[in-house]
Amino acid sequence: MILEDISTLLQKGKAKEVKILVQQALDEKITPTMILNEGLIKGMSIIGGKFKNNEVFVPEVLVAARAMNSGLEILRPALVASGAKSVGKAIICTVMGDLHDIGKNLVKMMLEGQGIEVIDLGVDVDADTIVEAVKTHHPDLVCLSALLTTTMMNQKVIIDALVKAGIRDQVVVMVGGAPVTQGFANEIGADAYTADAASASEAALAFLRN
Amino acid sequence: MKTIDAYKNDLDQTILSSKKMYDDAVAGCGGNISFRALPPSDIEIYNDFDLTKYNYETDLDAYAESLLAGMEKSFAARKDINDNFFPSIGPILGIGDYSAFVTGEIIFRKDTSWSTPCLKEIEDFRNLPPLGTSKWYKKFLEISELLLKKTQGTGIPFMRGFFSPLDLAHALRGENIYYDFYDDPDMVHELLDYCADATIKFAEDIYALNNKYNGKTKYGTWYTKGKINMSEDIACMISGAAYNEFCAPHTQKVIDHFGVGYMHCHSRAMYLVKEICHLRNVAHLWLATDPNQPRPIDHIEQLVKAANGVAIAIDCDTFEEIQNHYNEMKKGNFSICLPVKSIEEGIKYTTLFEQLKNK
Ligand code: B12
Repeated sequence: MILEDISTLLQKGKAKEVKILVQQALDEKITPTMILNEGLIKGMSIIGGKFKNNEVFVPEVLVAARAMNSGLEILRPALVASGAKSVGKAIICTVMGDLHDIGKNLVKMMLEGQGIEVIDLGVDVDADTIVEAVKTHHPDLVCLSALLTTTMMNQKVIIDALVKAGIRDQVVVMVGGAPVTQGFANEIGADAYTADAASASEAALAFLRN
Repeated sequence: MKTIDAYKNDLDQTILSSKKMYDDAVAGCGGNISFRALPPSDIEIYNDFDLTKYNYETDLDAYAESLLAGMEKSFAARKDINDNFFPSIGPILGIGDYSAFVTGEIIFRKDTSWSTPCLKEIEDFRNLPPLGTSKWYKKFLEISELLLKKTQGTGIPFMRGFFSPLDLAHALRGENIYYDFYDDPDMVHELLDYCADATIKFAEDIYALNNKYNGKTKYGTWYTKGKINMSEDIACMISGAAYNEFCAPHTQKVIDHFGVGYMHCHSRAMYLVKEICHLRNVAHLWLATDPNQPRPIDHIEQLVKAANGVAIAIDCDTFEEIQNHYNEMKKGNFSICLPVKSIEEGIKYTTLFEQLKNK
């Protein structure tokens, strides 16, 4: 019941209430993993699905994600103490020449919603910065967003740079953004493409589980 | 730059039919369809022009000369296409200038630009420098005046669009604006009201310049007199209900100030057509087709219902699509744009469109 409430309040973006209930759930000795999966992640997945179907919009997703983060703040120490392993790590950015960041931010939120740690490099990010970031942070995933037909080619430039640096095999490259298609993703040698943020987080999880 | 009739054979006729369409639109009557061909030469200027090449501090003349040369080339290339298009001039600086006129710097890339959000807290807009004093406000007027001086006597209309209050607020505040909707709705209204006032002042100053140089020409003030062009891009991120609550009153304030609104939105937000078209005195809505989204041309019936007579500008892929939807489109007002491979093809389809119209 309390997990259900966490999920519902999270979907409404009620950060304070989510925080209180997560603490209460911990006090009731519900396992941290259970709170994460059945409360926070469940709520975030529902919001992601509703966004995909145009039932809710960008502000609703963002406040839900904020509520999730406030719940996670309380949960994190308990998760670490219980020995729960981080699901994985991702680097995300919008590629060089492109400032569109709304979709990128939603993907970030949805990945975080699945318990993935995300390092956000921002917008207008060039290949060298990505290569450096992969060497420094050792992520499992590199997520590249592009909204312009002119900048989607920069996703390829980045993949080529990863190959050249000899680190392409260390990461799964996911691409997305309105003009990007599965065909384009195949063409440039990306590992995955999805059309929306909810599917992006599902695809990311699938890769991490394998 | 030559006089406008060197680039347009049937200027009076084109203006007259556009005027009829927009008057009908505001009155809520349908029955007008106009056609625009889009040959590669119409957009080549954007491919050839490099925004990073110019020194906007010291050499505006080089910028203005090369911009006007590009525009002249594209007007001249399509002069034999007797479609609904007619030439207009105005600064092209990417998209950064749409918000940097309030404050801040523009970051330029070859074919685009942007400015970065500056409002750490939403109420910080109260501490912004007085409107009209920022670097890019003055620079934009300087550039506009230079272009107007260089084209004075040609009669070519001056054209400038603006961000809607929400688009401007988003550019200034960034993604935080979405949280503000929930956390501080009253302050969002205040910020949007500020953005409406900022747009009104900026547009008034630009229009005054246009009036100074083009006021006595036949069509030089066609895009500015009693009109405002505004984009509602960020509205695509919110629901129809949120649009009505937060955006509509402020967008309406700007439209009311000038008279008639010419709006722009995206097929991503087809659900918003109704809300935007039900604002008072909207004559036109350019509904851009987005990748990965439904195409407006496939939803004519729905658009006619939602548009309330407002002229909807959309594009299509083939002439057959225009033929197939012609009768349905006649129930409302539509401006249809067809990309063509060459000038010859543009002439051919314009003729075919005239035949279809006269059938
Ligand atoms: C909002 C917007 C803007 C805002 C951007 C504000 C911001 N901070 O992001 C402003 C007004 C500033 C802007 C500017 C420009 N824009 Co713009 N913009 C849009 C618009 C309307 C919506 C984009 C958006 O945010 N969508 C909402 C989000 C949620 O969707 P999304 O980004 O597609 O993301 C989803 C999926 O794609 C996916 N996804 C996204 N990233 C990733 C990454 C991975 C790894 C994965 C797996 C999935 C994934 O998940 C997301 C959530 O479900 C689009 C039209 C459209 N429908 O796409 C045009 C559009 C992208 N813009 C366009 C253009 C041309 C421009 C400008 C060049 C205009 C100009 N005159 O300068 C500038 C470019 C500036 C630059 N250098 O980037 C064109 C691009 C055309 C093309 N094919 O190249 C579009 C398509 C409009 C059109 N129909 O013509 N724009």
